[in-house]
Amino acid sequence: MTEHVLGSEVPELQLTGVSRRYGDNLAVRSIDAAIPAHKISVIVGPSGCGKSTLLRMISGLDTPTDGEVRFEGAPVRGVPEGLAMVFQDYSRSLYPWMRVDKNVAFPIRRLPAAERAERVRFAIEEVGLKGKESLYPWQMSGGMQQRVAIARALASHPRLLLMDEPFASVDAQTRADLEDLVMRIQAELGITVLVVTHDIDESVYLADRIFVLSTPPSVVAEVIDVDLPRPRDHVSTKTEPEFVRIRGHVTSLLRRPDADAEGAHGSLVASTAAGEIA
Amino acid sequence: MNQGSVTEVAAVADARRATRARPGTPSRRTGAELLARLAVRLVVPGALVALWWWASTLPDLQLYVVSPPTAIDRFINDFLSSDPSRLFLGDAAHEDMLPSVRRALAGLAVAVVVGVVVGTALGISRLLSAMAQPLIHLGRSLPSPALLGVFFFVFGTGDEPKVLLIAFSIVWPILFNTVDGVRSIGEVRSQAAQVFRIPDRDVLFRIILPGASPKILAGIRTSLSLSLILMIISELQKSENGLGYRLVQSQRIFDYGGFWAVLVMLVVLGLVFNIAFTIVERRLLAWHRGATQQND
Repeated sequence: MTEHVLGSEVPELQLTGVSRRYGDNLAVRSIDAAIPAHKISVIVGPSGCGKSTLLRMISGLDTPTDGEVRFEGAPVRGVPEGLAMVFQDYSRSLYPWMRVDKNVAFPIRRLPAAERAERVRFAIEEVGLKGKESLYPWQMSGGMQQRVAIARALASHPRLLLMDEPFASVDAQTRADLEDLVMRIQAELGITVLVVTHDIDESVYLADRIFVLSTPPSVVAEVIDVDLPRPRDHVSTKTEPEFVRIRGHVTSLLRRPDADAEGAHGSLVASTAAGEIA
Repeated sequence: MNQGSVTEVAAVADARRATRARPGTPSRRTGAELLARLAVRLVVPGALVALWWWASTLPDLQLYVVSPPTAIDRFINDFLSSDPSRLFLGDAAHEDMLPSVRRALAGLAVAVVVGVVVGTALGISRLLSAMAQPLIHLGRSLPSPALLGVFFFVFGTGDEPKVLLIAFSIVWPILFNTVDGVRSIGEVRSQAAQVFRIPDRDVLFRIILPGASPKILAGIRTSLSLSLILMIISELQKSENGLGYRLVQSQRIFDYGGFWAVLVMLVVLGLVFNIAFTIVERRLLAWHRGATQQND
């Protein structure tokens, strides 16, 4: 386990000793993490390792039993302003009775009409859905629906964008497209992005910084900075020796038997050459 | 739907949008197909009318069962007129049908308001729901026509006891469906609303009620049919007008033609109520018809 020291940048999000207990069940244990501003951070871990619990506490939907989450220096109590979220299950997070533009505009209903229209137009264009404004979500493919969810998050002008397994429910090609979409948007808007995933490839491909979680009660097993050059793409980045090395390292961390109390690692997804060690 | 190609889905979507307004309407049918479908639907009603006609010729029943043409003739005579200033409605329609419909609709309106308001509250709050549970099951399982006397006693003999009896009897499907609908909105949609810091008012009117609307409307549809039944029952006693009153009166004076004309009127009312409801439902739930056809 390496204790990671930050660079000069002030962390956007700081987790200090965050634990969450459900009855006798300790879901996450003393998590320390500094999520840097204007970067993409990824929390990767096996299924059931408390990733979603962690995200709920970061977003203020849940409170830690111990420790503290600070967003932009202030402790998180309730959902803070400046935060938006994209859920895994787009079909349940979008509102099927609203057309695409209404879904995107919904979180910013209270803004003046002109500004709202401008934000919606921008967000929809940003995710490549121009011309689809008057469709209903259910008239679109899964990938397009998730784009709507991303546009909805962008319309609220977040400084921190949380994504909970955002691409787990779409096919591989769509997933690759959406990963690129998120990286492009992040680079353009400079927002802080925190993705939770169980996909090792995805974590290395997206991240400036990876937080590897252990099995429950989860702790941060390691923090890895990924210095792969940007812009990245699916062919050249994924064949770079550095990518292969980090992927192998993360895989071995997640497979390490001593970090695993119950051997629940079977659910781990490593898309390619899982056992490969650099 | 995930594995389908994006362009394909988009094309389908575009085609749907081109037809606009009603997503999910099947494409145009040919005249012959339409006729065939109509024919299939008319088999059972046709057989029933034939049975009725046959029964009207039996010596034992002749006295009570008038033939369909006689009944329809009487219906036209009693309930229709050629006078535009009377809305083409006859005396019986003005004296008995309209008051009955007013009571049924007033009862329905009360039931919808109470059912949706109480149902929403119970759907949102588990505590309220637990507290109200015994009372609601008691109310639901009471055979409400038996309470007619109580309603007369409490509310007098005017329209109020009738309207309230109708409302009390038909509120349950709306209430239960609303509770169910509100609970079916789902954890993720509520979480999304929380994360985006949507004000409570918007959560109620833009998320909870629209999300529950398919079930609420299903409940209202059941209640609508019930309202006609209860309308008749409430008018069987202590009434001065209404279709139920007319049913009783015509039997008392052995006017079986008039009696059957009322039955025809009730059938027509049932049809009109249903068609009106279907039109409203289609408008309100266009999204839902499409959504369920596509995803489930």
